[in-house]
Amino acid sequence: MPYILQQLLSNSANKFSEKAAVWARGRSINYRELEECSNRLAHLLGERGIRKGDRVGLYFPKCVESVVSMFAVMKAGAVYVPLDPQAPPDRIAYIISNCGIRALITKREKLGLLDESTVASLAFCVLVDGTNESSNGTRVLPWTVLSEFTPLHPPRVSLTETDLAYILYTSGSTGRPKGVMLSHQNALTFVEWCAATFNITSEDRFSNHAPLHFDLSVFDIYNAVEAGATVFMITEDLAVFPTALASFIENQRLSVWYSVPSALTLLLLHGNLKAENIPCLRTVLFAGEVFPMKYLRQLAELLPNVELYNLYGPTETNVCTYYKVERSRLAGMDKLPIGIACENTEVFAVDERDEIVTTPGKTGELYVRGPAVTYGYWADPDKTAKMVVANRFQAHFEEKLYRTGDLVSLAEDGNYYFLGRRDSMIKSRGYRIELGEIESALLSHPAVREAVAIPVPDEIVGNRIRAVVAAHEQHSIKAAELQQYCATRIPSYMIPELIEFRETLPKTSTGKIDRVGLAQTNSRPGQAGPVTGSPQVSLSQLL
Amino acid sequence: MVTAREATPTVKDQIHEFILQNLASVKGVASFSDQESLMENGVIDSLGIFRLVSFLEEAFGVRIGDEEITADNLSSVETIERLVLSKKKS
Repeated sequence: MPYILQQLLSNSANKFSEKAAVWARGRSINYRELEECSNRLAHLLGERGIRKGDRVGLYFPKCVESVVSMFAVMKAGAVYVPLDPQAPPDRIAYIISNCGIRALITKREKLGLLDESTVASLAFCVLVDGTNESSNGTRVLPWTVLSEFTPLHPPRVSLTETDLAYILYTSGSTGRPKGVMLSHQNALTFVEWCAATFNITSEDRFSNHAPLHFDLSVFDIYNAVEAGATVFMITEDLAVFPTALASFIENQRLSVWYSVPSALTLLLLHGNLKAENIPCLRTVLFAGEVFPMKYLRQLAELLPNVELYNLYGPTETNVCTYYKVERSRLAGMDKLPIGIACENTEVFAVDERDEIVTTPGKTGELYVRGPAVTYGYWADPDKTAKMVVANRFQAHFEEKLYRTGDLVSLAEDGNYYFLGRRDSMIKSRGYRIELGEIESALLSHPAVREAVAIPVPDEIVGNRIRAVVAAHEQHSIKAAELQQYCATRIPSYMIPELIEFRETLPKTSTGKIDRVGLAQTNSRPGQAGPVTGSPQVSLSQLL
Repeated sequence: MVTAREATPTVKDQIHEFILQNLASVKGVASFSDQESLMENGVIDSLGIFRLVSFLEEAFGVRIGDEEITADNLSSVETIERLVLSKKKS
């Protein structure tokens, strides 16, 4: 049984040595090459001073060398830190410093973006696009130097499953990113559940749509490798153009797809997808945000033979619950559940009285228990102590729980439903309001493509509600119309007073709506709906 | 003295300006050449592409179908200009 991620590769390299492992930008490498090249790089890293537990940053746009590097760092006993190649250099510099990154595997252009002191803090860099001619002494090493190291076996390191495999930086509510520490055991808990649940074989052809700093990519890469399958990395040239992406799925005969819902929605609306063109696609997984029901229904209808799964879980646990879409039930649902716990994971909801929810209909904050749970945040014991807590519901042995900050409700059939963030529950006029509920109402209007509800603190009523909406076609609907529509769906105290229209809603680097950014910008003058001076006036307009 | 030529922005200028103001600044990109790939430098992402298409349709009175939203047509300011001009002709 593999206990560290690189064993997935060595197992497959034995069984499937000539089979294509990774494809990106028109190039591919097979399992033997992946195994040998990562062995060489692992030796290089070790020889240049990388020791067990050291952090090595990966800072370059996705390519086959990305996967080589991930395995190489782990084979050296170290921890890889995927850095978003599109992030501002200052943010990268912060992470390098915060994480104590010792070496960087990067490309010339990216290295050039970093300031001198950041570069000086590194012991060395390996340039994926470096050649012998461009070698810059002993601190900047070209990829070509790998030929000097043995491909036959990895360095000897004594790793156990409890050692860290990678650190993923996620946005912090306080404004600075935080590094989620993930062990081999954390990753394999997820990989093993996926392998058992999705019937993956070596004949499968995986997409990798998500960036490598987003944990969806853990499935794409490690489940492909685990099965001896092939993973096709989707790079920015494809991701931006829905018709090109749809053609890619067709031409590469992809069988498994995993992405955020908005990528699927774009494919649905603009990709000219046709089921008969993509007969190989058998399984589609989505995670990371709520999939608006109307688009999910369209997708389910467009691709009748594809299995659809909603996966849920924060970076701190990877996927912890899942729900398999039943088409016969879709028409009657206005919300998709996040489902039930994955194998080898336990979830439960804790209510305001600090008791575990067992009665259907009750709500609470979702907690996660088991080997999927992170140790915490790199170099941030305070934040870790807040979120990764001792299991107070069990007194026999020490055990940690992760509190997700997500509010859920338990249904009769045992499925959990996501209600919203614990901290996106707001009060307005004394009423408890889930912003997610307002958003569902807005999204259910056929003219609306995207919507987000943002609380605007107010000294009289607690919070007012501002909605930012992207319609399918600009100017197709006015604020007043949308408010009247909402009045048929949600209580009047939940209806957004201010509705601002934009062509599209800004996203974070992982593809989710950037709520924090939107909340920080003021609504643009002239674009708000009826702006009222006092709540009474607004209420009477709506009654 | 401002000449008539200086006063009227070219198609290329308008395209460049729109992208700079609406897509690039939000990504922290301060400048880019007309030949540069806007996907590679991260200026245009899968949602920005539709903002761009809307702008082109409105500003130049052309219609761009989903099947025309491709890298060949929209990867740089130059290719975008070429697309717009070819549509204005027909």
